[in-house]
Amino acid sequence: MAGKRKIIFHIDVNSAYLSWEAVDRLQHGASLDIRTIPAVIGGNPEKRHGIVLAKSIPAKKYQIKTGETLYAARLKCPDLAIFPPRYDLYIRCSEAMLELLREYSPHIQRYSIDEVFLDYTHMEEHFGDPIEAAHQIKDRIHGELGFTVNIGISTNKLLAKMASDFSKPNKVHTLFPAEVPEKLWPLPVEELFMVGRATAPKLHRFGIYTIGDLARADPDLLKKRLKSHGLLIWNYANGREDSPVGDLPGIKSVGNSSTIAFDVEDRKTAHMFLLSLSEMVGMRLRNAGYLAQLVAVSLKTKDFFSYSHQRKLYTATDATNQIYGAAASLFDEMWQGEPLRAIGVRAGALVDGSLQQLSLFDPGNAWKERAMDAAVDKIRNKYGSNMIMRAVFLHSGIRPLTGGVWEEDYPMMSSIL
Amino acid sequence: MKVLMKPIDVIATYPRDGLPIPHRYRIADTDGSTQVIKVDRILYRTEEKLAGNRMLIYRCQSIIAGSRRVYELKYELSTCRWFLFKM
Repeated sequence: MAGKRKIIFHIDVNSAYLSWEAVDRLQHGASLDIRTIPAVIGGNPEKRHGIVLAKSIPAKKYQIKTGETLYAARLKCPDLAIFPPRYDLYIRCSEAMLELLREYSPHIQRYSIDEVFLDYTHMEEHFGDPIEAAHQIKDRIHGELGFTVNIGISTNKLLAKMASDFSKPNKVHTLFPAEVPEKLWPLPVEELFMVGRATAPKLHRFGIYTIGDLARADPDLLKKRLKSHGLLIWNYANGREDSPVGDLPGIKSVGNSSTIAFDVEDRKTAHMFLLSLSEMVGMRLRNAGYLAQLVAVSLKTKDFFSYSHQRKLYTATDATNQIYGAAASLFDEMWQGEPLRAIGVRAGALVDGSLQQLSLFDPGNAWKERAMDAAVDKIRNKYGSNMIMRAVFLHSGIRPLTGGVWEEDYPMMSSIL
Repeated sequence: MKVLMKPIDVIATYPRDGLPIPHRYRIADTDGSTQVIKVDRILYRTEEKLAGNRMLIYRCQSIIAGSRRVYELKYELSTCRWFLFKM
């Protein structure tokens, strides 16, 4: 059996958030399928969370793009229907899809809430030809769960992912290594995974416009100009990638950020938001069993200018107070007093949390702090996150915990295959 | 049949070895009056899990206002609520 060529599926839900909302509405008696009209899922403009998170195919015809503001989208299509996001629904849909996929292979990786990798190697004996099996999976998801998916098939995760993006919706595509020159190389280079807004203009300067150009480029030159990332995308352009299908070795960082309903103009309010975010970050770190050695703070001004600072900690920690302390001092160093619309706190350089190196020089008692954090977490998990809060938040109008995706941490997007 | 998806009050039995069986339901009209309908026969039962949400669908038959009508009831497992789905 060894040496048998791998078969990898990439299953990608078409307009995930919007399709899920549509199916839920139909199931509850709606007569209109919102997938058939110009519709988007978007945040609440009054809280300034007003961007397009997902769009229907008719909305795409109006040139509406994911990530643009609802205001801009409405200018393009005045009759646009807008629905608020419902993460509990998305998690339920994602779970249901995973449960169905588990029938087909024991090796499954949830890549994000709406994307899954499935290792089909050796499964031909049970479910037959990969292309037929993919059609069967696609049709079963449509029939049983009510939404459509694209499935990309290849011999590695990268090519499978590129294949599932070819044409939508409700399709199965293959992109085997032999098909790479014909199907992958004519595409513009920015379509390649890991070639983004920053890399594409650099490649254009070298005269690289298609994925084929990149594949045929000199790897030494790419390495010189783009460092290891150059080699990575050169390999990707040639269809070379061999990471196994499986859960990621672990999370790289834990961060929460929030766009605030008003502009923050004073240090005290900003510190309260930092504390509120640090509470969430600390709680998630402790839940995941990690300690952070790095804290970063990012700010976005009312003019949409973003900047951030980060700092290494002397000792790894998961204590809310320590994270907040570092975040507050970073903030004081970098903030120039301009009005802020968004603040984020991130803890990185994670290490295993089962052992903790204590420091002689830290103020206070780390063990006591740990015990207190643990007690607070316990109360919040049992009775709800608002049952216990720091007094500073009383009557402040600021939530004592800020940041979403708590129930279960699903990555919304990732750059690691 | 038309999709109605109206919430209804239901009297049902929940057998120890099976799924709920609706016997009677009460439906409110727009004018506030209510009507009680006896489920004469359950023709068949299906299950759906659209969007990962399990619902039982009962195709039933009753005599309503003197004529025999076929309709569907829906039971949502996650909320334990009944609906008159289609009539």
